[in-house]
Amino acid sequence: MKLILDRYAYLDSPLHRWQQGYKLIGLLSLIFAFAVIQNIWLLPLMVIITWVLFSLSEIPVGFLIKRLRYPSWFIFAVVILLPLISGTTPILQLGYLTIKQEGSWQAILISVRFFCILTVSLVLFGTAPFLNSIKAMRSFGMPRVIVDMTLLSYRYLEELGEMLTTMQRAMKLRGFKARGFNRRTLKVFAQLTGSILIRSYERSSRIYQAMILRGYGSQISKKKQKKIEFDQSDRYSLRATITVVTMAILLIVLEAILPSFP
Amino acid sequence: MHIPDGFLSPSVCITGYALTGGVTWQCLRQIDRDRDIQANIPKASLLTAAFFVASLINIPIPPTSIHLIFNGLMGALLGYYAFPAILIGLFFQAVMFQHGGMSTLGVNAIILGTPAIAAYYLFQQRHLLRDKKPFLTTILSFASGAGALLLSATMFAILLVTNISPDMDINAERTAIFISLGGYGIQAVIEGVFTVMLISFLERVKPELLNS
Repeated sequence: MKLILDRYAYLDSPLHRWQQGYKLIGLLSLIFAFAVIQNIWLLPLMVIITWVLFSLSEIPVGFLIKRLRYPSWFIFAVVILLPLISGTTPILQLGYLTIKQEGSWQAILISVRFFCILTVSLVLFGTAPFLNSIKAMRSFGMPRVIVDMTLLSYRYLEELGEMLTTMQRAMKLRGFKARGFNRRTLKVFAQLTGSILIRSYERSSRIYQAMILRGYGSQISKKKQKKIEFDQSDRYSLRATITVVTMAILLIVLEAILPSFP
Repeated sequence: MHIPDGFLSPSVCITGYALTGGVTWQCLRQIDRDRDIQANIPKASLLTAAFFVASLINIPIPPTSIHLIFNGLMGALLGYYAFPAILIGLFFQAVMFQHGGMSTLGVNAIILGTPAIAAYYLFQQRHLLRDKKPFLTTILSFASGAGALLLSATMFAILLVTNISPDMDINAERTAIFISLGGYGIQAVIEGVFTVMLISFLERVKPELLNS
């Protein structure tokens, strides 16, 4: 299991230079503004904003397409089903199937909104190391327990993934092959899962001892912490955040004043 | 069982975040009462990572395969740590694999996290009876695993179907909910049996994991 989120986190683009704390405020506002959009007229504007942000980030298109692969199945099902089951105005008759206008517009709205939010999320978390995102969230007052759990889980995710791969390989080498669905197969998978839980539990005790030795639990000056993680003197980041938040507000205002699509 | 970005109205997304904030605050209050919080955080974190990895295991059901959700099992093993653990797991899935999404993170956390807390309370009932404990543990393990998944599936189906389109016919909505619950009902039985097998394995090999 490879966590490839940080693959393009060290490029030098305008999005990479945008401080992660500011970027979180700006792009999360934009994500929520996108979620507000119900008016079809605003979809081209949403796509343009998303395209500009993605182009500026210099993340390869192939990386985005790879990310879209799994969730797109869900969207595909919605795009197929909604025009058939939602709405009352028929626009096309295909044998027994009637394609309805309201459902078709709804399917387009959902797909575009989904694509734009997903792309902005990828730009948000793909243009900075994941640890910087956690640090930025900590500087916004995220509870210590959640920050510690997130950092520790993230640290061991890949190792536990490797452990699972090794154990599955060992099972195969010993002749295990999941033939169909039966009690024995389920039991073997339950024992595999149990073994991973036990190994991680035992490992956590050793990690805790090591953390204590390295000073885990001692207090760090909050003043010092904030100064490092959320540098308000960064004018470039501040300007970028104000621009994106203004765009988000503008989208919401346009959504409120523009006549809705029939 | 993740609602992707773009499917829900902002009012539902914001309500989801507000509810998640409230439940997280309540769970953190309970965690703060933990006598050994500093030692339990690494344990909960590694188990969170282990559950995340275990949820990637494919259980073959020809001609397809399924991934288990494990929210009931997480509740049974992690107690109040289960809700933050699920929240973190969902955040990882949203940013790493684009399962779920940032705008629907709060809603998804409620869908999967609150049944985990219910499963924790249910699984704790095994301490009520001293006799017939293995039998009671089996029943409660199944109920925690299957019940949590079924509860999550009900919330997921109702939320998704009632919010996806305002023009959807009420009968079509009802049919869609029943069809999806039928599918999830089968998965709930599998998840329940799997939870029984796993809890029985842990009881034999590492009983302190169930009592920690």
